[in-house]
Amino acid sequence: MSSVVVIGLSHRTAPVELRERFAIGEAKLGAALGALRESGLAREAVIVSTCNRVEIYLATDQDPPAAFAGLRRFLSNFAGHDGALEAEAYTLAEPQSLRHLFKVACGLDSMVLGETEVLGQLKQAYEAAVKHHATGPKLNRAFQRAFNAAKHVRTHTQIQRGSVSVASVAVELAEKIFSSLEDRQVLVIGAGDTSEKAARALLSRGARSIIVANRSHERAVALARELGGRAVTFDDWFKEFVAVDIVISSTSAPHYILDRQKLEPVMAARENRSLLLVDLAVPRDIDPAVNFLENIYLYNVDDLQTIADDYLRQRREEVARCDAIIEEKLRDLMESAARRPNPPDNRPALEQPS
Amino acid sequence: MAVALYGASLVYSVFLWRRGFRQDDRVNYCLLLAAFLFHFLAMWKRGVSFQRCPVHNLYEASLFIGWSIMLALLVLGLMPRLRFLGVFASPILFGLGVFGLMPMLDQVHSEPLAAKGTALSLHAALTLLAYGAFGLGAVAGAMFLVQEKDLKQHKARAVLSLLPPIQRLEAVVKWQILAGLALLSAGLLVGILWVPAPSGYSIRGDFKVLWSVFVWLMYAALLGLHLGFAQRGRRFAWGAVSGFLFILLTFWGANLASPLHSP
Repeated sequence: MSSVVVIGLSHRTAPVELRERFAIGEAKLGAALGALRESGLAREAVIVSTCNRVEIYLATDQDPPAAFAGLRRFLSNFAGHDGALEAEAYTLAEPQSLRHLFKVACGLDSMVLGETEVLGQLKQAYEAAVKHHATGPKLNRAFQRAFNAAKHVRTHTQIQRGSVSVASVAVELAEKIFSSLEDRQVLVIGAGDTSEKAARALLSRGARSIIVANRSHERAVALARELGGRAVTFDDWFKEFVAVDIVISSTSAPHYILDRQKLEPVMAARENRSLLLVDLAVPRDIDPAVNFLENIYLYNVDDLQTIADDYLRQRREEVARCDAIIEEKLRDLMESAARRPNPPDNRPALEQPS
Repeated sequence: MAVALYGASLVYSVFLWRRGFRQDDRVNYCLLLAAFLFHFLAMWKRGVSFQRCPVHNLYEASLFIGWSIMLALLVLGLMPRLRFLGVFASPILFGLGVFGLMPMLDQVHSEPLAAKGTALSLHAALTLLAYGAFGLGAVAGAMFLVQEKDLKQHKARAVLSLLPPIQRLEAVVKWQILAGLALLSAGLLVGILWVPAPSGYSIRGDFKVLWSVFVWLMYAALLGLHLGFAQRGRRFAWGAVSGFLFILLTFWGANLASPLHSP
């Protein structure tokens, strides 16, 4: 009777230099499944290849140790790798292999705990395997149950709540101040990497326009063009304050570029509309005393990181609840497999695509 | 029964507060909905038995203000994030319920006032609905102040909680005060134009009438400062909370000091 085994390399076991050598893109997927077929290792197979992991799930008739040895050889041969993959590749047999699949689907094995992107990638990998006629009753059932468990975890725990990056926390903050981000004007002072990410995130949530000011005007123009906004010269950024709602600052100035004395008269001209100031610069660009002004909300990079860490801690606290759900779903899967064993499969290992 | 359910909602609200408003407020909403149904049933039975709108003494006025706050709350609560208004409203609702149940409040008026019929009922209902609207404005204002303080002090709860954005809360405060002012204006006009004072009484110089005009002016000034002079955010929210606190603390005294309203 066949069982599900998995072999894989992930961000936990192998550096990116190694993972990228074993990546199996869409173009090579058919060939990889074909090679597996020829090796006689698998009755069914699904190959998951993302930036953080390369995993092969197999339903095999072979004993797990024999299957693992064969899979190591297969991986090395397919990637043209000379090493033995003893430490870098992990191998799991039932029930650990199924538990691992469920955890991956729920984002518990991801670099960013609880992220949802991996579920979409897992679904794509499964659909690609179905398209290549590489799945059968064993893996179909396992993957469907894994997707179901991920849905259950998402709706019954808070593992996916909140943002764990500084840029997305800035967006969440904006959403706690403004009823809607549509029609909000964003001013980016200093075209740094994180400020660019935050600006992009704000745009994706509907912010109306982006104004970019940078010491190098060419860089400001380039970023503004990329973001569909407009650039202003670095000497003119303060003139925009009457109209903007969100300011992201990350200049390399050694002193404050914005203080209470500058902002007080502007707030009167703004008719005291709320203003979110996000100071991502170190040393800081904005005098912390500004936060004492009414209707101004100032956050620096440490404040944002603290919130991101809180979210992460909240997600970690949810792991035990997720594990309990996974164990319950896994038990259901094992019991249903025991009640309804797969019919004898007389097909040759991995059917040829028709 | 309704007061007990408001009490249960108050206890559950403390729990939600301590949890940082991180879970949906459906349980509290259901508790308040159940309380509202009992509340409505009690008022309806009383209205049927007396054959008039139950707004004619302090007991009925307390219940009617609470009822109008609840009605608006249930409508706003259809938006999930505004459901948390119930957390801030339950202390007021419970307090009004307990106060309403105090002995001596439920006194039947003398015949001349009770006999004024529809116009008097309309006058009382409109003004009490106005106080309900001001009450909900104060609740939204209190919620604004909590959320704004969390944002200012960089508390994680500001982002982690499911509370609505402060700009939306400010809009709720504004619309509740606008609605309250419109209802109070209508209530006062009905009172002045269609409810003649009984013989021996005059509306001129009546303490409750002066008090009502003062309340109207106070909210008109608050709204005028907000719309015309950019008094936004914390100041506006404090204005809404203080205004309703003033009503809560002086409404019953104003009634007792008014020969026309407490003959």
